[in-house]
Amino acid sequence: MTGLTGHNRLSIMLHLHFDKGTLLLKGQVGTPYGKWDPRVECYRIKAHHYRDVLDYLHQSKQQIRDDVAELPPLEQFQGSIKLRDYQAEAADKWHKAGNRGVLVLPTAAGKTFIALKAIQKLKVQTLIVVPTLDLIDQWRRRIKENLNVEAGVVGGGEKNLRMVTVATYDSACIHAEKLGNKFMLIIFDEVHHLASTGYMQIAEMYIAPYRMGLTATYERTDQRESLLPQLIGDLVYSVDIKDLAGEHLSPYTYEKIAVELTPPEQEAYNSQIEIFKKFLQERRISLRSAADFQKFIMTTGRDPKAREALLARNKAMKVALNSEAKLAVLAKQLEFYNNEKIIIFTLYNDLVYRISHRFLVPAITHHTPRKERREILSNFESGAYPVVVTSQVLDEGVDVPDASVGVILGGTGSNREYVQRLGRLLRKKDEKLARLIEIISKETMEVATSRRRHRKIGGNS
Amino acid sequence: MPRYAKLSDNNLSLADSLINSYEVHLGKKKKELKSLVTELEDKGYEYRFVRSLSLLLDRRSSFLCNSKVDPVDLRRKIFQATEQLGLPTTFDNRQKIIANVASSVSLSTKEVEENFYSDLDGELVLEKFSSPSSIELLSAYNLGLTQTLLFEASELYFTTSGNWQNIFYAIKKFGLIYEVYEENKIWVKIDGPASIFKLNRRYGINIAKILPVILDNSEWIIKAKVLWKFTNEVCDFKIESQTHSSLLKKQYSTHITYDSSVEEAFASQFQALNSGWVLKREPEPLPAGKQVIIPDFTLEKAGIKIYLEIVGFWTEEYLQRKIAKLRQIKTQMLLLVNQTLACEKLSRLKNNSEFDLIYYRDKIPLAPILRYLETKFEEVKSKELQTLKELPIRFTESIVDFDEFASRIGVSKEAARTFLTENLPSDYVAMADVLVSKAKLVQIDNKIKEALIPKGNLALTEAARIIEKEGLDDSANVLVALNYKIKWRGINSEQAEISKIH
Repeated sequence: MTGLTGHNRLSIMLHLHFDKGTLLLKGQVGTPYGKWDPRVECYRIKAHHYRDVLDYLHQSKQQIRDDVAELPPLEQFQGSIKLRDYQAEAADKWHKAGNRGVLVLPTAAGKTFIALKAIQKLKVQTLIVVPTLDLIDQWRRRIKENLNVEAGVVGGGEKNLRMVTVATYDSACIHAEKLGNKFMLIIFDEVHHLASTGYMQIAEMYIAPYRMGLTATYERTDQRESLLPQLIGDLVYSVDIKDLAGEHLSPYTYEKIAVELTPPEQEAYNSQIEIFKKFLQERRISLRSAADFQKFIMTTGRDPKAREALLARNKAMKVALNSEAKLAVLAKQLEFYNNEKIIIFTLYNDLVYRISHRFLVPAITHHTPRKERREILSNFESGAYPVVVTSQVLDEGVDVPDASVGVILGGTGSNREYVQRLGRLLRKKDEKLARLIEIISKETMEVATSRRRHRKIGGNS
Repeated sequence: MPRYAKLSDNNLSLADSLINSYEVHLGKKKKELKSLVTELEDKGYEYRFVRSLSLLLDRRSSFLCNSKVDPVDLRRKIFQATEQLGLPTTFDNRQKIIANVASSVSLSTKEVEENFYSDLDGELVLEKFSSPSSIELLSAYNLGLTQTLLFEASELYFTTSGNWQNIFYAIKKFGLIYEVYEENKIWVKIDGPASIFKLNRRYGINIAKILPVILDNSEWIIKAKVLWKFTNEVCDFKIESQTHSSLLKKQYSTHITYDSSVEEAFASQFQALNSGWVLKREPEPLPAGKQVIIPDFTLEKAGIKIYLEIVGFWTEEYLQRKIAKLRQIKTQMLLLVNQTLACEKLSRLKNNSEFDLIYYRDKIPLAPILRYLETKFEEVKSKELQTLKELPIRFTESIVDFDEFASRIGVSKEAARTFLTENLPSDYVAMADVLVSKAKLVQIDNKIKEALIPKGNLALTEAARIIEKEGLDDSANVLVALNYKIKWRGINSEQAEISKIH
């Protein structure tokens, strides 16, 4: 034996490559991040450990052939992005944490700009993951305006990869096997979504060593946000809505108008809610939390009595939500604020279309064709349409240009929803005072819902 | 276990009335159709069941907006009119705006109201519907139910009677990983790359997509580990063709098929040769470690089995890997390689001549394949003869069946026959398919003689009965061996008689 020849030395070199959302390490060396996979007879590693594995092998002075990343071509950015003080501070903290971590800022505080600035600074292939198709459009516009490059898009039937690409959570998850090795920076907009079991895999199946999470509402009702630090880094910056209101965002007022149901409505409401209450009493069910309610819903699949009770409750809720009296109050509000930009929120599409039909104002729900939605939003922005009525579609992150009055008709009572609906109004423009008006029905369960919704945020009304 | 819809009268009549609802609602609005469906829900059927069937029927329907004006344009006009004339907070103001728009688009106010939101889902009109049978609908429901359950599956195990080619093609296509193991039958376990890190629902959707391909078989057993959504408990799920095939009848289409025109053409040409080799398409897969080889064909003659595979696009590395796999399983396999589908230069291939490869250009050549088969046949046979010669073989039984002997030793029947007739033990006589001890023959001869004594001859059928009773079915050869001759009277064996030759 004369020792290793050059050729032999090559043949024992380690080889790291990407395999459907994971990494495969071939060769006789393992890593603390990997696991021996007997099915393919080599080490398999979660993709998000990409940098850790490289570090480990370099520290161990092992030569490796790294075929992991397959990146889209680099493009040149143009233009400059100026950050406000608190934005610059947030960006700085993120860079110092190794270009990883979560930033919590209220809606309308300009999270997008912090992200765009980071992309501009790092100059690496970037994937931005967003919850809705609306947000894809919005990011695409912002990227064009601020970096002067076209964004790639994955989602809503489109699939083209570019240096800066925007994808929905769904598409990023479904295509993780193919997209996982194409980006070095990954930005999660509305990052609280990432903590759900399904979406969590996005964080695990992408190699990107640089990671940014953005949200206005870090906490989840299920507390799964505690899983985020190991996936994208710690919470590195957080600023409260109250710290920014007045200084960077418009101050706002909050007003609640309780409306009595018309007598026939009250009667219909009572008779339906009685059925529901009686069922709960008979079965000794108490509905104290969202989880209790979830359990109750599940029983309705197989228990006809439970289903009957649920349907009765829904009918009662609908009576309260769709109350004529509420629409009359709404008419008054619309009259009163007729020089303002008004956005009306409600939970049910039926009611959205009823309002649209009654007041002849544009409606946006998830049934609205995308092109029409874009047209309505841009007309709303320019002032051509002063009023828009919508269900939950616009809830998250999508900027509605400087609405000055918001009217809520009904809601689910979740805290996050409230914060985000509120945020929609907080556009600072000409020192104007934003208004939020909630119209609820008196003597119905809706009062409790509204109280619950209001408990945490407590606006400066 | 999912709550499968049985093919009961009750369920079949529900399916029929739903299908009928769709048929009679052609040209009508979706919301009218759906309110009829809701009525059925209230007639005592479980609402989820009714709704799921209706959803399956929606997939066979096409709903269109058949409005005279484009509702999006109409709305734009209305909203613009609102902007010009002011937000209508009273009924009168509203009517003014509608009237204004109506005259600008030459419609009546009623038509404007009707078309305002005529593109909403419920307003669409049922244009086309392709009716399934009620059994098809219930099967589709049961398949959907199973697939929904499998969405939560972390892994699937199955065994089946065929369709392997399509199944493994689908497994590859959907990015899954399989392992093969034997437990009486060949079982396949499917999961995905990241399954190694933790129980994982991620691959459930793709696992569910493979289900119809597995079900497209006469026999199957399917097991799965399902992660229960709410508690994360692992549940076992199992269905098999014996008990469930009527509930999960073959579906309208499975959409995953492997292109096999080359294989089909070859099979029909080869069969036309009548070579004595029996060709079988898509035989059982051969386990090779944890992976599997699915040959295109087996060719079988006298217990000698040779596998054959037609290789599509290939590289040298691919062939090398394939050959290494074949070596592992020690099976005779011939690869037919199309030179025009090579993904690299041909000059590199010369070294491959040591393997069982036949290269061709346009058409799969039959003559060299037959030559190969015959050579292999002789080769295998002589190897087996060698093995037999080295075995100490002694018989105690009075009748030795070649087939039974061959499978006991693990050689082909052909080799067993050749060996036993060429190395005949001195106290045995060779028949077509068996050896018989001389003592046994004497015993049979005595019984026949007893029957002969009164008349000096005996009906052939009676002699055959005596021989069969002794465990031999080849009576003609036994009689010849015992020196009898058969006197035929016409062609009817009932009238034939035997007598001893002296």
